[in-house]
Amino acid sequence: MSKDKTSKEPKLKSMEEPLVKFKNVQKSYDGEILVVKDFNLDVAPGEFVTMLGPSGSGKTTCLMMLAGFEPTTNGTIYLKGKPINNVPPHKRGIGMVFQNYALFPHMTVAENLSFPLEVRKMGKTEREAKVNRALDMVQLGEFGQRRPMQLSGGQQQRVAVARSLVFDPDLVLMDEPLGALDKNLREQMQYEIKHLHESLGLTVVYVTHDQTEALTMSNRIAVFNDGVVLQCSSPEDLYEKPENSFVANFIGENNRLMGTVEAIKGNIATVKTDSGDVVVATKVNVGKVGDRATLSLRPERIIVAPKKGKTPNTYSAKVEELIYHGDHIRTRFSVCGHDDFIVKIPNSIDNVDLKKGKQVDIGWMSEDCLALDG
Amino acid sequence: MKNVITKTLVAGAISTAMLAGAVQAEVTLVSWGGGYSASQQKAYVDTYSSGDVNMISYNGGLGEVRAQVESGSVQWDIVDVLASDARIGCDEGLFEELDRSMFLPSPDGVSMDDDTMVPVPNDCVVPQIWWSYVPFHKADTFSGDQPSTMQDFFDVEKFPGKRGIHTWASAITEMALYADGVAIDDIYDVLSTQAGQDRAFAKLDTIKDHVVFWSSGAKPLDLINSGEVSMSLAYNGRIGGAVLNDGADYVTVWDGQVLEEEWLVLLKGAPNRAAAMHFLVHASSSQAQADQAKWINYGPMRTSGLDIMQAGEPWFNTGVTIMEHMPNTDEHMAGGILANPEWWADNGQAVNDRYAAWMAQ
Amino acid sequence: MSDTSITNSQELLLTNDGVPLKVSLRKSLRRTKIRSFLLILPPLLFLLLMFVTPIGSLLSRSVDDIAINKVFPQTFAQYELWEDKSQLPSEEMFAAVVNDIRVTIKVKDDEGIDIGKNLLGRSGTRMTYEYSGWKSLISKTIKSALKVDKKSKEEVKPFIWEAPFKDKMIKRDKRWAKVEFWQSLGAMKDPYTMGYYLNAVDLKFDANKNIIQKEEYLKIYNTIWIRTLQVSLMVTIFCLLLAYPVAYLLATLPMKTSNLLMICVLMPFWTSLLVRIVAWMIMLQQNGVVNDTLMYILPCFEGMVNLPFFGATNIDLCFSDEDRLPMMYNFTGTIIVMTQVLLPFMILPIYSVMKGIPPSYMKAAQNLGATPTRAFIRVYMPQSVPGIGAGCILVFIVAIGYYITPELVGGKDGIMIGNFVAREMQRTLNWGLAAAMGAILLAAVLVLYWAYDRLIGLDNLKMG
Repeated sequence: MSKDKTSKEPKLKSMEEPLVKFKNVQKSYDGEILVVKDFNLDVAPGEFVTMLGPSGSGKTTCLMMLAGFEPTTNGTIYLKGKPINNVPPHKRGIGMVFQNYALFPHMTVAENLSFPLEVRKMGKTEREAKVNRALDMVQLGEFGQRRPMQLSGGQQQRVAVARSLVFDPDLVLMDEPLGALDKNLREQMQYEIKHLHESLGLTVVYVTHDQTEALTMSNRIAVFNDGVVLQCSSPEDLYEKPENSFVANFIGENNRLMGTVEAIKGNIATVKTDSGDVVVATKVNVGKVGDRATLSLRPERIIVAPKKGKTPNTYSAKVEELIYHGDHIRTRFSVCGHDDFIVKIPNSIDNVDLKKGKQVDIGWMSEDCLALDG
Repeated sequence: MKNVITKTLVAGAISTAMLAGAVQAEVTLVSWGGGYSASQQKAYVDTYSSGDVNMISYNGGLGEVRAQVESGSVQWDIVDVLASDARIGCDEGLFEELDRSMFLPSPDGVSMDDDTMVPVPNDCVVPQIWWSYVPFHKADTFSGDQPSTMQDFFDVEKFPGKRGIHTWASAITEMALYADGVAIDDIYDVLSTQAGQDRAFAKLDTIKDHVVFWSSGAKPLDLINSGEVSMSLAYNGRIGGAVLNDGADYVTVWDGQVLEEEWLVLLKGAPNRAAAMHFLVHASSSQAQADQAKWINYGPMRTSGLDIMQAGEPWFNTGVTIMEHMPNTDEHMAGGILANPEWWADNGQAVNDRYAAWMAQ
Repeated sequence: MSDTSITNSQELLLTNDGVPLKVSLRKSLRRTKIRSFLLILPPLLFLLLMFVTPIGSLLSRSVDDIAINKVFPQTFAQYELWEDKSQLPSEEMFAAVVNDIRVTIKVKDDEGIDIGKNLLGRSGTRMTYEYSGWKSLISKTIKSALKVDKKSKEEVKPFIWEAPFKDKMIKRDKRWAKVEFWQSLGAMKDPYTMGYYLNAVDLKFDANKNIIQKEEYLKIYNTIWIRTLQVSLMVTIFCLLLAYPVAYLLATLPMKTSNLLMICVLMPFWTSLLVRIVAWMIMLQQNGVVNDTLMYILPCFEGMVNLPFFGATNIDLCFSDEDRLPMMYNFTGTIIVMTQVLLPFMILPIYSVMKGIPPSYMKAAQNLGATPTRAFIRVYMPQSVPGIGAGCILVFIVAIGYYITPELVGGKDGIMIGNFVAREMQRTLNWGLAAAMGAILLAAVLVLYWAYDRLIGLDNLKMG
């Protein structure tokens, strides 16, 4: 399903040959359960693609198949147009940053970086130049003679990135590389990796279960669940135009109203919620009239006390809870039979004064309300 | 008041000690294991009605004895020791000097110390047995000519196959000289000279490449049975035990046997001194000495014991005559070498070092 | 707040109770110190009792020659005055021997029991280590110096000898006229001696206490030391070669299979050492399983064959009785059996280190372009070094002091130093020599530790 979507993807220069191509890839460890069901993905040169999904969704398995550590059960992986199913890992020329960095503890930082060049039988002077350049690139020029254990987590992370880049691979894989870092450091590293990607024109396949990380860094994100890619598109599209309720739910915060399709007209779907309210929504992924549907609403797109007639959908809601968040006030309403309907109200002076228990109208535009699979 | 408490405490301590003593009154007799210990069990222990005797085994040497006596925690009472150890241990004060008048005279009224086949070396020892180092082989090992002399043991051309010998120097050096033509009476004189020792080791060199070493008494029989060696030295009782009890078809070559004394001693500071002494009197009686030969072919040290045996033939428990299996019959003694424990106490360290060096070369 | 602390810092700081802060701090720390000391006291005592004391007594015994110096003080004093040691000493020295015997014979212990005779007996044993014959010479001389009536067992006359003694003693035993006996006293004249150590490396003192080589035919220990190192080294190497793949399998196989394998590895620990050794005897002896199997499977071909290049050749390819391999009661037997016995000591530390090496290192190395073999050698093996080091040290240390296995299967050329320690302890009673050999073994182990620390680093040592 993602195949046809990716072809529409503007970031992919469709004229160019994809650097990586997964074609109908399946993977099973025990012959009974498919961990990866039917994986198709094209990665264009210079692209930063993230495989995002909850743990056990098959994203890391796909990465390992690409790196060559797991054989595909069925299907083909192409690198630069050539199938690599039977190419051993050390001949694939793919850089990789491991979850726990896998820096060789018995070698210095410089030796770690020099290792891939050494096995490629590069001369000593050339090796040293490349190692120094790579270390400077990650601002660790001074640390070449240290052992990995003598570095901080962030520094180790940078060494791991530098090592994966030092032999100029066509492709760099990163397997949850920031998982072990604390929040501040993680955000800092996200930008650094993103900058490296942009300045060096790297092609990166990145695996994470952290959606913020994925949104921050990627050109495209493939959302995995249960061995299947549910959507593969740019971060904006993923957030603004989720194609199904899982993606809508998984990416960002989301209010969900359940209901039945009443009518479909063009790209407008009319849905009657289970509480009997009728909602006009943008049709994204619903079947025919009478099918179940999930309405997805972003909390920051809800308008409190809209002017009459401004919003096609306006309902009376009761304030259940107010949580002060500084820049915004997180408000929980009960509306349309839902008592955990979240609205983010910007903290500005001209805003309505809300109190717990107060009855107030809330509304939203039909384009902000997506009718998805039920 | 204080006095009363002290007295009570002392009385308590004494009665506890006595109780402990009563419980502990099981005499410990340490011997070499195997058929030899079994014969002592049957002849001395089973016939002893005045107390319990517990037999345990050791592998010879005075190391353990000296450690017990020096540390002051003596566990053993009576130990069955080799001739040279009997002398060294008594000299060093590891053994008790015993009141000779307590021991029983022979049926003819001869005192024990005048009833032994060799003079009693000191007041620590109680007569035990005669035994010997002797070569043996299986009856079917050689076709044609059969080994009959000590020379044959050292002749690997004439009687091919490996030789089992022990890992210490005593007996084998005497045998080497004897096989090389030294008269029995001259052996220790020759061995006392540098040239004589060289001669013994030169003889040993002739079988060096054909030797398998053993250090425990049961091993020679394994070596012979498995075919690892064609002839081996062994303690004569081990061979006789297998022949007399199990019908093994071993042939003993008595020529050049080296006869050794064996004595019982009481450790200095033995935990059950009195009971052990009582048992020693029983075990050294002429009758007990003779009885032991019902179970193994080691000869009694007391002349009167040998007399009782000879008079009672067939003496062995299975109803066969035993004298022909004894090391100290006239016939077997003709080619027998009496080991000289004094000589070994003097020269043991040096000759054993040399022997070890020879082994390791 | 900060102002007050600055002004007060010049004065004595007091706690709320007015006690000086330092005193109070020391007091509270002392309490924790005492408590922690009390906590480690039992193991400390245990260590002292079970470890330091025996080693201390071992070391002191290896140099201790006090006993004989207490028995023959006058003799040794005269020895210092003896000038030409190639000639028999003067009458004074003969008299000193008699006097020393006469003084010693009267010595009683704390409970008033005569022990003089035993002190002399022990001295005789000690002197025999330096020169054969001393024991009987001393006891003969004692008997003359202290004549006892055979019947009454009473001393008829304390000393039948009056000075001068020289001729009387020589008349009693002509060995007193042998200068070698007198010369051998030189090695014993000091209460502390290096003599046992010299003996343990085939050296000895001459009459003037110069260190000289032992007689060629008495040299044995250097051979044995070298053999002991050889055996230990070979056993360590063979153990490593066998253990490494096994440990790797154990560390990488799935739990279920590796558990089964682990049981097989540990099985020897649950079996008596003697049983295992006897099993090897049955396997390896001349008529044992291995040789019988070789007899059975190897072809027996004899006869003329027309070979290319060689023409007609008589070929005898028979594995006959004479060809049976000697694998027991020799060096080979010791190596084989000890390798099997000590294998678990190598496997376990290597395994426990390998278990801690994440598989991602191998993946990373391959990902960086190294072939699996290269990745293993460059990345996996260096990380297993702490296990290899621990295993090697463990096996080597256990092997260097081994004695049961060589005793049973070593035969003539598979005997190790441990067997000689046992021999000196049990048979010849030369405990000083045994202690010296033990001390040298201990030193060897410490040197090994030191070398390991210098080469690899002790922090790179993981016992498990």
